[in-house]
Amino acid sequence: MTYQLAPWTAIAPMLVLVITAMVLYIVDSIYPEREHPQLLSGISVAGTVTAMAIAIWYLAAGTGQHGGEIVLFWDQLVVDGMALFFTVIFTAVASLVIVASYDYVRAQPHQGEYYSLLLLATTGMALMASANSLVMVFIALELASLPSYALVSYLKRNRGSVEAGLKYFLLGALSSTIFLYGISLVYVETGVLQLTAIAGTVGEIENVAILGFGVVLLILGFAFKTASVPFHFWAPEAYEGAPTPISAFISSASKAAGFVIAFRVLIEAFPYEVLLELGIDWVLMIQVIAVATMLLGNFAAAVQENVKRMLAYSSIGHAGYALIGLAALTNPGGTNDLVLAAAMMHLLVYGFMNTGAFLFVALGEHWGVGRTFEDYNGLATQAPIACVAVTVVLLSLAGLPVGGGFLSKYVLFMGAVSAGFWWLAAVGAVVSALSLFYYARLLKAIWIESPPSTRVVDEYPVGLYTAIVLAALLTVVLLPAFFAVAETAQIAAVDLFA
Amino acid sequence: MDAAFTYAPLIALFPLASFVIALAFGKYLPTRGALPGIVATGASLLVSVWVAAAVWQGHVHHEVLYTWIAGEDVVSLEFGILLDPLSALMLVVVSLISFLVHVFSLGYMNAEGETGLPRYYAELGLFSFSMLAFVYADNLLMAFIFFELVGVCSYLLIGFWFRDGAPASAQKKAFLVTRFGDYFFLIGVVGILATFGTTTFVGSEGFPQLAEAAIAGGETFWGIDASQWVTLLGLLVLGGVIGKSAQFPLHTWLPDAMEGPTTVSALIHAATMVAAGVYLVARMFGFYAVSPTALAIIAFVGAFTALFAATMGVVKDDIKQVLAYSTISQYGYMMLGLGVGGYVAAVFHLMNHAFFKALLFLGAGSVIVAMHHKQNMWEMGGLKEHLPVTYWTFLAGSLALAGIVPFSGFWSKDEVLFEALLLGAEAPIFIAAYAMALAAVFLTGFYTFRMVALTFHGEARTDDAATPHGVGWSIKFPLVVLGVLATVAGLINMKPVAVVADLDILYLETWLDAGFETTAYGTYTTLVTEVAGFSYADIGPLLPAIIALVLAVAGAALGYRTYAVAEPTEPVKRLGGAYDLVRANYYQDEFQVWLAEGFTARLARAADSFDQIVIDGTVNGISTVSLRAGSRVRRLQRGIVTNYAALMAASIVALLLLFAVYGGWF
Repeated sequence: MTYQLAPWTAIAPMLVLVITAMVLYIVDSIYPEREHPQLLSGISVAGTVTAMAIAIWYLAAGTGQHGGEIVLFWDQLVVDGMALFFTVIFTAVASLVIVASYDYVRAQPHQGEYYSLLLLATTGMALMASANSLVMVFIALELASLPSYALVSYLKRNRGSVEAGLKYFLLGALSSTIFLYGISLVYVETGVLQLTAIAGTVGEIENVAILGFGVVLLILGFAFKTASVPFHFWAPEAYEGAPTPISAFISSASKAAGFVIAFRVLIEAFPYEVLLELGIDWVLMIQVIAVATMLLGNFAAAVQENVKRMLAYSSIGHAGYALIGLAALTNPGGTNDLVLAAAMMHLLVYGFMNTGAFLFVALGEHWGVGRTFEDYNGLATQAPIACVAVTVVLLSLAGLPVGGGFLSKYVLFMGAVSAGFWWLAAVGAVVSALSLFYYARLLKAIWIESPPSTRVVDEYPVGLYTAIVLAALLTVVLLPAFFAVAETAQIAAVDLFA
Repeated sequence: MDAAFTYAPLIALFPLASFVIALAFGKYLPTRGALPGIVATGASLLVSVWVAAAVWQGHVHHEVLYTWIAGEDVVSLEFGILLDPLSALMLVVVSLISFLVHVFSLGYMNAEGETGLPRYYAELGLFSFSMLAFVYADNLLMAFIFFELVGVCSYLLIGFWFRDGAPASAQKKAFLVTRFGDYFFLIGVVGILATFGTTTFVGSEGFPQLAEAAIAGGETFWGIDASQWVTLLGLLVLGGVIGKSAQFPLHTWLPDAMEGPTTVSALIHAATMVAAGVYLVARMFGFYAVSPTALAIIAFVGAFTALFAATMGVVKDDIKQVLAYSTISQYGYMMLGLGVGGYVAAVFHLMNHAFFKALLFLGAGSVIVAMHHKQNMWEMGGLKEHLPVTYWTFLAGSLALAGIVPFSGFWSKDEVLFEALLLGAEAPIFIAAYAMALAAVFLTGFYTFRMVALTFHGEARTDDAATPHGVGWSIKFPLVVLGVLATVAGLINMKPVAVVADLDILYLETWLDAGFETTAYGTYTTLVTEVAGFSYADIGPLLPAIIALVLAVAGAALGYRTYAVAEPTEPVKRLGGAYDLVRANYYQDEFQVWLAEGFTARLARAADSFDQIVIDGTVNGISTVSLRAGSRVRRLQRGIVTNYAALMAASIVALLLLFAVYGGWF
């Protein structure tokens, strides 16, 4: 290589995001009285797309991959394949959400704040993907969470939005304390916070109980961020009350961010074989959580009347699938990297599918359609393109081979089976079948039922449409392109285990 | 490669083109699609003759045209073309009959001002295409596909007048009954594919060859001895044959199929649908030739059907019904011929039958046109004077059917009987088959001339018969062509003459002995004698021929004497209960209806109840439980944030305790 960028440029995506947030503040303060939706959303999407492009470029160029991870700030940050891969997920979802938000918040005040908070949350998530010590993990997590609380209650005059934000914040604060307590317990035993350093000392600790408590509490902290059982309670409330693009953002990007810290912390800091000898079987714990999450998310989704709540529970169910990526890690040197790569791929595909589904609900809200399944009756006659797009993403969410969701689930379940956990895959397959039921309810409503005469659909918001169709398109493209992209994910997974 | 073979795929593709043309543009064409059909089948005939000429010069051709599923190290599924003496002969016969039927249709359908003609010609084209492609199929799977297409086309054409109740019901019956047989055929195809990895007919990699090798090598398949396994597979495929060729007990669809236009009956009986079954056995004869059990079953099914159907033919009043039962009976002879190893005899009879049965049906069609669409023979009589061309050609066909020297049917039927006798003399059980077939000879003569006498002789018994309306050239031309063929076609393989006079005039035998070694007559004979263990007595052909001829003539004379009078009566009625039994077709239809309604439907209802109660019950139960569980979860989520916090705290404690105890942390 003739020319190499300085190491600090590895965090360029984060820098771009944070600079864009600052630019938004500046632009907004130049015109404090008037809203400029085009300008603000234009700057925002330029920022996220640039960050995404840099991350993709780094991925393609092999930056930080194949064992060449770049560490910065005295090992506090690390840029490797997984960090870049997840940065792509966050920025891609953020881009879709910003494009869709253009229509959604056009008539709202404080748009500058909205977009800059969105970008700061994205920055926090990107930082989570790179955090290499427990302290950085916590700081990044808070950097992602605090803007999210504000975004959920963005509709200040809407009681539902404010209530949702408050609940999210309260439960988030509780989880943060639990997480922080977990960090402190780990620190008590190991005396270090850097992840690889923990791995180095964890074998010689004196008191297993303290470390065990710490690990359990850390896992519960991850469970909050990924909306997994038993820390899932906030999710349906927050998703339902939040502005729907924000629901899409939190349920897709924020969930993925929870997973990236879970992956990195558990795999880097707490090598499974070592902890199993100590009697801390964290894989078993993840398995329990995964099964409970899959069951609860899907069963609860099946009985919802409200479409947005149904999607909220389905998103809990999907966290359960992705947890299989950790729950099947008992086979070092064998299928571990495959399973982890499958989970990463699932989060990527899920980012598009789920965002697309939530944005469809946002479109419905934009038209004042209503909240229940019945309210969507016959929408296909009035908005066929959006309905085709949502059909694709819903069927892909259910795991039918119309989009990448089929392959990511398939590889996950196959990974679980080859790791010997056929029952994990069986639970996953059964609840996937159940999920088809509740996704099909929405499809039946929009395609088969006849529309009510009172509903008028007279304008087609460009931003929302673009975002939904783009999400559906990416979902479909990830079916043929699945294995090409999965290669990148697998390289990242191999590096993480190395 | 001979140039003819390059163009051979067109033989089937021409009628396919006429199908498309008739379907798309039939409405706008002057003849509603007849002309494209005539041109297409005429072109097929020319190419077929060209191919036959190439085969005559000793060339054969086998080529894979298209691989639709290419297997790596496993089976590949292909479409190919196989042109050997058997398929070349059949291609000529099928395209000729199809061509003549198209011409005849001008007089039978167009001149009668039928509606829906584009549909008729389109279906006729598709029918010809399916049959021709079936004939040159190089593997069993492809044959199966076109076999099914032939069935579909029969369904469509039998129900051409679908607005009437009877044709609609007849088409369903034909389809369902043949489907029943095809079900076994399909299992057989899959079985052969699974066993041998190929369904190709010819070559050292063909499945008959592999079967022989497996038997010779004493292999076992899934624990079953190779010869038994081959027998089983052969019998499964035979299920399709019995359905299509209307052999007992799946013959019941064929008389009902008379509801279709008579031209269609001619095509179905002579060259396509029904012929497909027997042709299939001939096509894969190498596979049956290694299994004595399968051969014996074929022989007995054939012989019994020949006699059984002949008895029913005796008591029918409708001219087409008589012909229908004669068809069943004649295909029985072919099956008998194949079953006793008389490959040449059976193919010979298949060819002759195609000519004279097409002739008889078209002749009957001519009569029906003349009779203003009346079909009851008791309302006819004395038509001889008014329809001379029809009469003389019909008579030629009847003589051939009855098996009277020197008409074609005599030579081939005699050869079938002769082969059965030769085998029977060594293996006495086959004497029973021979006896049944011989009895049927007498009955055939009788009912054939009962039909001729009632239709053409005596005096006109109704006004319609007294004033028939004339028929045009498009009806006469096919009759004359077929009349000539029915008279002389038998001369190509005069076995008694050849043996007695020691002449080398067995042209068909020579023809079928050429081509690919694995499908040559000589190979089959070797297989039948060495692998299946059949042996043939050394009896001169003259005496058996005379016996058969005497019986046929006696039957014909009796039929003629009884009915060719001014005021014929029905003496058979005096048989009383036996007459009623035969009249009712041995209650076969009732039996099958009982099977369907009394047995199958009940079984189906029981299965349905099981499905409803046990299967659906389980499924519904699961969904009920799921929804209940869902509502429980929903109740947990009550929207009160302090509850959530409490639940989270409780779950922390529970998980900590659980893992602390499980992991032994204290």
